[in-house]
Amino acid sequence: MTDVPMMRAATPRRRQMPLARAVRAVLPPLAFCLVVIVAWEVMARVLASPLVPDVAEVYGELLRIVPTGAALQQIGVTLGRILSGSVLAFAVAVGLGIAIARNRLLAAFFEPGIILGLTVPGLVWALLCVIWFGVSWKTPVVAIGLGVAPALTVSVVQGVRAIDPDLIEMAHVFRIPRSAQLRRLWLPAMVPFLLSGARLGFSLAWKVIVLVEIFGLSSGVGYQLNSEFSSQNVAGVLAWTIAFGVVMAIIEYGMLQTLERRLTRWRRVSRV
Amino acid sequence: MSGGINFARVDKTHHRPHTGEAETILRDFSLEVLPGELVAVVGPSGIGKTTLLHLAAGLDAPDRGTIRVGDGAREPRIGMVFQQPRLLDWLKVAENVAIATDAAGVGRAQGARMLASVELASYAEAYPLALSGGQRQRVALARAFAIEPDVVLLDEPFSALDELTARRLRGLLQDLWLKHAPTGLLVTHNTLEAAFLADRIVVLGCRPARIEKIIEVGEARPRSPEDPALFEIHREIIAGLV
Repeated sequence: MTDVPMMRAATPRRRQMPLARAVRAVLPPLAFCLVVIVAWEVMARVLASPLVPDVAEVYGELLRIVPTGAALQQIGVTLGRILSGSVLAFAVAVGLGIAIARNRLLAAFFEPGIILGLTVPGLVWALLCVIWFGVSWKTPVVAIGLGVAPALTVSVVQGVRAIDPDLIEMAHVFRIPRSAQLRRLWLPAMVPFLLSGARLGFSLAWKVIVLVEIFGLSSGVGYQLNSEFSSQNVAGVLAWTIAFGVVMAIIEYGMLQTLERRLTRWRRVSRV
Repeated sequence: MSGGINFARVDKTHHRPHTGEAETILRDFSLEVLPGELVAVVGPSGIGKTTLLHLAAGLDAPDRGTIRVGDGAREPRIGMVFQQPRLLDWLKVAENVAIATDAAGVGRAQGARMLASVELASYAEAYPLALSGGQRQRVALARAFAIEPDVVLLDEPFSALDELTARRLRGLLQDLWLKHAPTGLLVTHNTLEAAFLADRIVVLGCRPARIEKIIEVGEARPRSPEDPALFEIHREIIAGLV
């Protein structure tokens, strides 16, 4: 018997081409959308009801609102309101969340407020703000702030509590000022929690702003939805919802995920 | 000169986390580390060695007695090397050092020089996770010395490394000490490490902690880890511990 050298050529690791990677990333969500469209069309044909318009009808409404720029303008108005309210909610949540996570007395003091904030429906904040502020920029900002801040605060508290206490101890020994600790230690350590909070915040803010725009404002996607509802145009309601959903998807895939990849690139370095 | 570290008649009691039971760690404990001196503290686990470092670092306060760090003229610059490197993984190596130098008011150029001293200049723009354990601990050494410290506290700095890497880093630490001469307090379980690095070795025993023995290491620096005299000191420490 001859000695067979126990050697095997190293299998080269297959590296995905950028195009293949992009296709793999895009294909599943596209397939999901396709399944939903087909399912809707089947449902519309089976039910044959004016309350469930078929895909062509909804597409026709989309063609009515998108090319004229009306959709983009109204979505821009709504997004601006969401952004303003979210900035307020974010500022409150970061300050409050850090304080609560670090101080048991403050945690006990604010706990009922946060529970109340989490349980009160967005509808209540929308109604109250319309009553208090009327047709004013304050209405959407405060309503979104009140609707989003409690959930965001909970995310921040969880983020602060997940920070490695050894790192805080190191920062204390090296006498790193609080402002530098916040910028270089606390916020970067909380990035996953802040991003999931931002996603949650956007979805909550959208639900609140639609109500505010329905009840108290004369512009924005909520107002348009209400107009289509009043004229019993179900395809119009769906078209506005789809147009806004597409913009939100662009924000998620184009901005939030890019931001997440950028902020967590240190995790993807090869380990020695 | 950097100013020393002085524990004067210090009492410290800890409360066990679950039972709340009080446990006296230090009672009437006194120890003086002279300016520019490196004192190693050895002793059984749980005797209070890390408590001494925490008190010196200002992470904990004594129940009674006083602790003086530095010369008293200004707030002392304290550098510390922990068992784990405790780097901020999301900051590049140079930024990890810069966060400490910025806080100490020392120019960033000093951080770059110190990274070169620990042979990591080419890794300045790397993230810590791309480094080996030994390299990360070298960054921690660079961070501690880049602030031009009055006092350096070392909490079992090489215990998490393999022996070959630890040996190399001890040599590196000795070089840094020769160059910068801060005051130092080293806590270690490794008696040879204590003999190799320290000017004086304090052997703790009993509970509350008591100084059982003080061993002067007269060997001149730079020392060799193979120096037979260090093995003699190692045997003397072991004799003091058992």
